[in-house]
Amino acid sequence: MTKDQDNICHSKTFESIYRKYAKDLRRFIFYKTQDIDKAEDILQETFIKLWDNCGKVNHESVKSYLYTVASNTFLNIVKHEQVVRKHQQSLVNHTTNESPEFIMLEKEFMEKLDRTINTLPEKQKEVFLLNRIEKKKYKEIAVQLDISVKAVEKRMHLALLVIRRDIGNI
Amino acid sequence: MKPNCLNSRNLMNTEHLNNEKDTFLAEWLEGKLSDTALKSLVSEADFNAFLKIRKGIETFEVLDSSTDASFEKIQENITQKSTKVRKLNPNSWLIGVAASIVLFFGLFSILGDDMITIETNYGEHKTIALLDGSEVILNSKSTLTYNEDDWESNRTLNLDGEAYFKVKKGSTFTVETQNGNVNVLGTQFNVNSVSDLFEVICFEGKVSVQTKNEDYLLLPTNSVRRINGNTIEKWETSGANPTWIHGESSFKSVPLKYVISALESQYQITIHDKDIDQKQIYTGSFTHKDLNIALKTVFKSLQIRYIEKEKGNIYLSTK
Repeated sequence: MTKDQDNICHSKTFESIYRKYAKDLRRFIFYKTQDIDKAEDILQETFIKLWDNCGKVNHESVKSYLYTVASNTFLNIVKHEQVVRKHQQSLVNHTTNESPEFIMLEKEFMEKLDRTINTLPEKQKEVFLLNRIEKKKYKEIAVQLDISVKAVEKRMHLALLVIRRDIGNI
Repeated sequence: MKPNCLNSRNLMNTEHLNNEKDTFLAEWLEGKLSDTALKSLVSEADFNAFLKIRKGIETFEVLDSSTDASFEKIQENITQKSTKVRKLNPNSWLIGVAASIVLFFGLFSILGDDMITIETNYGEHKTIALLDGSEVILNSKSTLTYNEDDWESNRTLNLDGEAYFKVKKGSTFTVETQNGNVNVLGTQFNVNSVSDLFEVICFEGKVSVQTKNEDYLLLPTNSVRRINGNTIEKWETSGANPTWIHGESSFKSVPLKYVISALESQYQITIHDKDIDQKQIYTGSFTHKDLNIALKTVFKSLQIRYIEKEKGNIYLSTK
């Protein structure tokens, strides 16, 4: 029974592996690509490769397999892009933020941001999450919490100040 | 310095030192205040930090969003290129299967018999390699007959029971059953024809199904089924091959009596079901590995009591 469930060629096992690792893997790739669409592409390619090699990959080592394949796929893409750029006579490293609009989001920054949001004072956090996660307008939040729109905006403003303070130099 | 400027010192004491009435960051985050306007209100370091924080917050949501869409694309991709026949599970029964194939072919070539009959017993699966490279996996308590001599010109098999076919491209490949015929060129499909149940699932390519009254053309994931002479039902299946190959039988809205007969042929048992409603509908699956778990999964969910009164005889009753 367990032997069968551990077989990655078993479509149910394959799916459960996907459910278990996909999100973390996508996050991991995103920190490399800084582009969610590219991250999704690499995620898909990685799992297709896993399926193609399902008989060869051990259930215990599947996690490291996925991360290795994803890294290599990313590196191949970078290599390819470098060739393309060389051709265009403009050697700009993809990962430096030389273009003014480009903002690099490092893993450390994102983790810090996450921690900071979680430690916001309760009232600010409530408004912040309603607005950012549940996508509620300030007006709707005001009605829900029975406070004025101005009060909602103040809390939002303060939340951003606190995040800015806690995040420090970036 | 501008009055609202957030230099690092008053940032440290944000809640006390900042103007209590300020809400410009909230307005900016909502898009009511432009980036340029914000830039004129705060220091450059703060401005860059806020831009990054905004992007970070947006990215959080994206990174946390569902990965279902990608999974669908992966599945599409997998089914499209699954012509490359996957290696079978390295299960122990395969060795037995391989041995029995060798035995069968050996036996029949000695006897010089053209008609080949392959039968499976209770709980047994057999993988049969046909002369043209096609492959058949026969489920338990099933019989497959074909003529080896003119196989190249006439790819016709007779099936009683259930089997999964991986057909190499070539001339028409026909599976004859009591309930109808299935014609294909090169594809993967499952046929289940046990007494008055007839079910065909297409996993790849195109499959044509002929019954007494009507013909159907199935595309991948399409499936047709007729139970007890009723009208044909169509439905969609998921998965790249039938679950029984992996040691599990699955059912979708099937009258219980067919589930019971599948259990019987899998485990070599007799199930006495006259005390329950055999017409109730079952959706679910049972394992081929453990009778107790199998009985539990099927009957517990339907609230049916089962007792093994004598060895191999299971009696069902309602609670």
